[in-house]
Amino acid sequence: MIVTVTLNPAVDEEYVVPEFRPGGWFRATKVQRSPGGKGINVSLVLKQLGLETAAMGFLAGFSGEYIRDSLRRAQITTNFLHVRGETRTNVYIVDEVGKVETGLAEPGPYIGEEEIARFLSNYERILKRTSLVVLGGSLPPGIPQDFYCELIRIARQRDIPTFLDAAGAPLLAGLDEGPTYAKVDQRFMAAYEGVALNSLDNLIEAVTRVHSLGVEWVIASYRTYGNVFFTPEGIFLAEFDRKGIVSLFGSGESLVAGLLLSGREGMGTKERILFGMAAALENALHVEKGVRDRSSVEKLISRIRFEKLS
Amino acid sequence: MRICEVMDRDLTALSPDTPLSEAIEILSRHRVSGIPVVDPSGKVLGFVSEKDIVKAALPGYFDYLQDPSFIPDYGQFQKRLKKIGLDPVSKVMAKDVVSFSEEDSDFYVAITLIRNHLKRAPVTKNGVLVGVVNRADLLERIMMEEESPSPA
Repeated sequence: MIVTVTLNPAVDEEYVVPEFRPGGWFRATKVQRSPGGKGINVSLVLKQLGLETAAMGFLAGFSGEYIRDSLRRAQITTNFLHVRGETRTNVYIVDEVGKVETGLAEPGPYIGEEEIARFLSNYERILKRTSLVVLGGSLPPGIPQDFYCELIRIARQRDIPTFLDAAGAPLLAGLDEGPTYAKVDQRFMAAYEGVALNSLDNLIEAVTRVHSLGVEWVIASYRTYGNVFFTPEGIFLAEFDRKGIVSLFGSGESLVAGLLLSGREGMGTKERILFGMAAALENALHVEKGVRDRSSVEKLISRIRFEKLS
Repeated sequence: MRICEVMDRDLTALSPDTPLSEAIEILSRHRVSGIPVVDPSGKVLGFVSEKDIVKAALPGYFDYLQDPSFIPDYGQFQKRLKKIGLDPVSKVMAKDVVSFSEEDSDFYVAITLIRNHLKRAPVTKNGVLVGVVNRADLLERIMMEEESPSPA
């Protein structure tokens, strides 16, 4: 079973506002509320694609109950630790006319040492029946910045592959421990490398350096609708065009879910990338997070432009 | 209907050496009346409910009295509760656990829970915890289901 870890889940609130600008007062034409956080999103998409997962992390307060209840109704296995405080709410404003998205995130509840210890004992217990761990998103206050390092190390001691999808300092620390897969965003990589990664050559160089830390698969975003994939079989670029795109919100996690599902089914590298990118594209074609189903993902594979870089 | 379609796939569990104070905190924060106790591999060893804890915090003779008016005063109850708070859950948990498999029917599970005066029970696969069933959820499900024709 795949286990997803979301240390700082969120209730995602997506508002569609036709012409959004700061300083105004707007009425949303559509509101979408869903349980979120990177790991939880991956669990939800894998469920939509027909794969069972377990989700774990920390939940708190009213929002935490909402998330647990939603996951329960989706029949996703859960093992969250309930803590004091309130799980955060992340607000996204989708401007349909200007085609821009604005986001607003909260820090999340404070996690104490005792709670971290309890989480770790749950983590070790669930690893006994885990085939792969997805570690995703930001860290709530109280969690040490190198926490992903520890989680990757514990999984590796048991020969369990890991997929790290994070940003900033927690990602940097986690990369040192060499997760099997890492998804990094271009802006972060630019800051990390200290060079602008607007050229494909620079990006390839940066991704290669991450690979040298022991990461088998590195996925880095390239321009708005593309990703560079460093894989054991070479470096590839995959992109889709912007036709029909409504919101990229959640697309990154659909890509992760698509790559994992296709990997589990034994598809080759190219097929995995195409399937993952098609899942990301399907997610982007509607306001609702996630994918409709497997067949609607498969129909979009022909829209992915695929190129071998080296 | 099979129970795996109704059960709560939650793996919240305690280990036998978890102190009762922590068990109480988890019961309250997770808003549940009972939690499975498992070994490091997730195998169910017991089940601890708030009823077991209350019983442990009351004096031994309470069972014979069968009347709550004999409950000792608040201060005494608190003192006992704090004292047993340091005990491991293995000391008060039910070791003879009523558990179900994912393939059991909702009706069978509901009847078994009612017969054993249970509100919650673990669902296991090869002895390993995979979820929990709640009596209230089951009652709701059975009420919503279409009536099966009664035997002539």
